[in-house]
Amino acid sequence: MSAEELGPLPAGRHGYSREQVAHHQRERLIAGLAEAVAEKGYAAVTLTDIVKQAKVSRRVFYANFESKEQCFLAAFEVVVGHLHELVAEAVEGVDDWPQQAIAATRATLGFLASEPDLARLCLVESRGAGPAVAARFNEAVGEMVPLLRQGRAQRPEGERLPDSTEDSTVGSLVSLLHRKVAAGEAEQLEDLLPDCAELVLLPYLGPAEAARLAREAA
Amino acid sequence: MRALPGKASRQPPGPEPVSRDAAAADQRRRILAATAELIAERGYQETTMEEIVRRAKVGYATFYKHYPDKEAAFLALLDAATDRTVGRVEDAYQREEGPWADRVGAALGALFEDVAAHPAAARAALVEAVAAGPEAAAKHEAALKQLAPLLRPGRELNPRQAELPESLEETLAGGIVWVLGQRLIAGEADKLRGLLPETLEFVLRPYIGEDEAAREAGEVADAISA
Repeated sequence: MSAEELGPLPAGRHGYSREQVAHHQRERLIAGLAEAVAEKGYAAVTLTDIVKQAKVSRRVFYANFESKEQCFLAAFEVVVGHLHELVAEAVEGVDDWPQQAIAATRATLGFLASEPDLARLCLVESRGAGPAVAARFNEAVGEMVPLLRQGRAQRPEGERLPDSTEDSTVGSLVSLLHRKVAAGEAEQLEDLLPDCAELVLLPYLGPAEAARLAREAA
Repeated sequence: MRALPGKASRQPPGPEPVSRDAAAADQRRRILAATAELIAERGYQETTMEEIVRRAKVGYATFYKHYPDKEAAFLALLDAATDRTVGRVEDAYQREEGPWADRVGAALGALFEDVAAHPAAARAALVEAVAAGPEAAAKHEAALKQLAPLLRPGRELNPRQAELPESLEETLAGGIVWVLGQRLIAGEADKLRGLLPETLEFVLRPYIGEDEAAREAGEVADAISA
């Protein structure tokens, strides 16, 4: 998604409703911010960079967002929303939980690897983009917890797993992905599929079965 | 009481004269403590120099004598916090003479205690460092890496050790740090002790299997409640 791909609005009488124009401008600003952040990192991005990339005026920026941080938050939301959709698609029609977990992991890694700039925005830049974004990041990571928790139903032992098992697991996943993306290796994220799958499955299936399924997934 | 002009000798004796080095060390300590507190309260970006000098009760000139800017103070804080914490964790690991799992339990116990005792500095090192620019993030990563050698010997205990992911230790360390960070953000540093057995179980599981890991965690839980 880039401002270029969205294309300029046709000049003059174009027959778009006011809502359509406003929506289009908002999308351009979000895309503009994503490009500017990819180029120079969130901290160095100015409002001028964003409106220049988006090819809209500052007035339009302020009609849509109060601040750079708000615009970043919107961009983060777009990417997370897209990931949610991809994961939902990936697990549709998959019956058993371990295969769902693998499909969800594969979809997430595949998307982030195909969009390294957005992977960086989500996993690296979001950490330093102000308190509201940091809080939203933590919340978004927390949204993975219920999906993992379903794994407890796989075996009787699942019920006695410590309460923080899912927190530790998602924290490990974030750390693993963050390291890869921060090192500029987002494009190779899919290599991590077996490691991620094993990490996710281990508490619920036990080491042997988790390792077997992780190898099979690779 | 102010001395009269020319009567300075009548001034009541003040505190013991402090050496210049000790005074400088005290200033640095105050600056770093203020930086840690403020960053824990409002995050790295939102913390200003003005607030740091006010909280530390030093002048701008004193601040600049020690650090060129906020980032430098934060990096010094990270170094100090990391050195102290990693030192304690390594000590605890070395002092414990039992099997590897017990040593990891001792190390993790020291980590949790240190974090609970210094929540502001811990939050700076574990949470805010990731948000405070590339140099701070690199220090955070380096600190995580220092935990890896304590975990790695556990591989010897796993019959499938050749299949364990290369990144396992750093990934587990990342999980520990995440859980600690979330508790610090929630202002629950005082509840960390209760979390220790669970986290130990999480860390040991990939190496010694679930039953042994649960048993070790149970022992630590019993020791805590005893």
